[in-house]
Amino acid sequence: MRPSVNRPPTPDVQENQEKEPTLQETINIKLIESGEKERLMELLRERLVECGWKDEMKAICRAFIKKKGRNNVTVDDLVHVITPKGRASVPDSIKAELLQRIRKFLVSAAL
Amino acid sequence: MSLRNPSYTNPKPCKHLEDYKLRHGLSGYKSIQRHLKATPHGRTSVEMLNTGVPRCNSCNGFQGRLYLCLICNSVSCLDHTLLHTQSEDGHDLAVDIERAELYCCVCCDQVYDPDFDKVVMSKHNMGVPRDDKHGDESIGERLVKRRRLGLGVAEELVDLKKSKQLVSMRDRRDKSCYPLGLRGLNNLGSTCFMNSVLQALLHAPPFRNYFLSEGHNHEACRRRSGDRLCLSCDIDVVFSAVFSGDRAPYSPAHFLYSWWQHSANLASYEQQDAHEFFISVLDGIHEKEDKSRNRNRDSGDCQCIAHRVFSGLLRSDVTCMTCGSTSTTYDPCVDISVDLDTSNFSPTDTVNKRSKPNENSSISTLLGCLDLFTRQEKLGSEQKLFCETCQEMRDSVKQMSIRRLPLVLCLHIKRFEHSAVRKTWRKIDRYLQFPFSLDMTPYLSSSIVRNRFGNRIFSVEGDESDINTDFEIFAVVTHSGTLESGHYVTYLRLRNRWYKCDDAWITEVDEEIVRASQCYMMFYVQKMLYQKADEDLSSLPLSPRRDAYLPIASCCERLFK
Repeated sequence: MRPSVNRPPTPDVQENQEKEPTLQETINIKLIESGEKERLMELLRERLVECGWKDEMKAICRAFIKKKGRNNVTVDDLVHVITPKGRASVPDSIKAELLQRIRKFLVSAAL
Repeated sequence: MSLRNPSYTNPKPCKHLEDYKLRHGLSGYKSIQRHLKATPHGRTSVEMLNTGVPRCNSCNGFQGRLYLCLICNSVSCLDHTLLHTQSEDGHDLAVDIERAELYCCVCCDQVYDPDFDKVVMSKHNMGVPRDDKHGDESIGERLVKRRRLGLGVAEELVDLKKSKQLVSMRDRRDKSCYPLGLRGLNNLGSTCFMNSVLQALLHAPPFRNYFLSEGHNHEACRRRSGDRLCLSCDIDVVFSAVFSGDRAPYSPAHFLYSWWQHSANLASYEQQDAHEFFISVLDGIHEKEDKSRNRNRDSGDCQCIAHRVFSGLLRSDVTCMTCGSTSTTYDPCVDISVDLDTSNFSPTDTVNKRSKPNENSSISTLLGCLDLFTRQEKLGSEQKLFCETCQEMRDSVKQMSIRRLPLVLCLHIKRFEHSAVRKTWRKIDRYLQFPFSLDMTPYLSSSIVRNRFGNRIFSVEGDESDINTDFEIFAVVTHSGTLESGHYVTYLRLRNRWYKCDDAWITEVDEEIVRASQCYMMFYVQKMLYQKADEDLSSLPLSPRRDAYLPIASCCERLFK
């Protein structure tokens, strides 16, 4: 049995969805409640800017918009185009750093 | 709104947004306002008060982007937004929960509305001016190079020999075709700091035009104020001497004496810091002119020539890390002191070095220094500031930007560094690359603040499209030697040629030499004024060496390759 999480009931949830939260959900909730998620996201943003990842994505977006014409592109299109490339090009060192931070958080939260 | 700035015109709203606003007005925005949460770093998100973690109402998922319907407050994930508008007629507009941005579910696109952004921006209480607090914090950083007089003379002798060699090597060129106003200044005993800055001031276009057009007539001034010492008068005398056409080196002895009277604490035969001298001369001019001009300071800015030419306005935003509220301070400045961007070789940061396209990351660049200057800086835990919203001492983030650019921009590189560990000062000899043409747009407050808040449509005060942000370099003051003793040399750029002003000796040099020099202070002038200055002097005879001419643009291209 996983320890239950203390959270207020969601108002209009249908019966078939009312089930035990998965481990991933539990961790997500803990991260949000403690404010750690926000800190992690800020760290990630900073690192991605520093390593040039953001500039790279910007360049891909620009190229895509140029190809399609600026009036025929929506934000959703852009997200679809860059998501696979973006996920693939995050430097391993940054992933490792974030993983380390999350591990540390989980250890401290479990106590 | 931001109509004055063509690059930020409002996009046309989609017809669903128009429909929504016609039917519901601003009530949806207002109701969402109290759920908005401002985070430090300028971001905003929607906080779901009653439900804790937001989830999609259709699939109960919590990952990815989630949208809050502006009409029924139901939450959908990206996959179910379309479903929501199909099942509920007219529920077209939603707000991205994490980013507080408007989204049209029918167009599947981000939409923009100034009214919405106004609601969001009101969460960040911005633009509360505070009184000047960071007045002269850099005084401690400005370092006076001190040393005994005897050694100084020996040093000068060595320099003298070197310069003589240079002169004999390059003196074949006819000096009579040098632009008017190029005249050597004799070293009066460790006064190269003065000569180097004077050369830059003598050729700062707006400053020069003021004095050459009798803006400050020293004879009239003497008659008016008796025999009182006046720094502006002595500068006027130097100007007349230098632009007289006489090429023999000039000794600005009376000016030096006058400056000593003005800044008694610096009056000695010791070597001084050129930057400190620059500040003190501008102060001297300001004091005098301020008195003679019956103080029309009430209108805001000081009208003295020193401040009209060199004075800009810095903006500093201090954001509380806890509540995200920002307080803004404006400080006038006559120059911008930037730290040498050495981040890419500090051992801790090697992984995360700033790498930009077209930039060799092992070289410090002036743009890198300016980036560093305008970067958000976390204030240490011992520097907690009082937050007026929280009514408590809080951790804060500080960010500098340039609110108003001066006509002549003086950039000072902090080459003298204080090591807290060894409690000593040291000089950083690192090479710094600098462009001849500089675009200051990215460092303006409007750009910096806009970047901080992402793509919001709102007007930043002082958001003017007609300001000139293109600058051209016209003088570089370089320093060679050590902290205790060294030599200042100025490179002047006149009509696209570079001239080396080493005390009494003026020689024409190639731009490669300037690029390779160890710059300490750089003087940029607004491009318009630089071009005008060029035209003014074009009536003078041109030197035969036309082959050295290179358009500025192509120089800069080469620089960035």
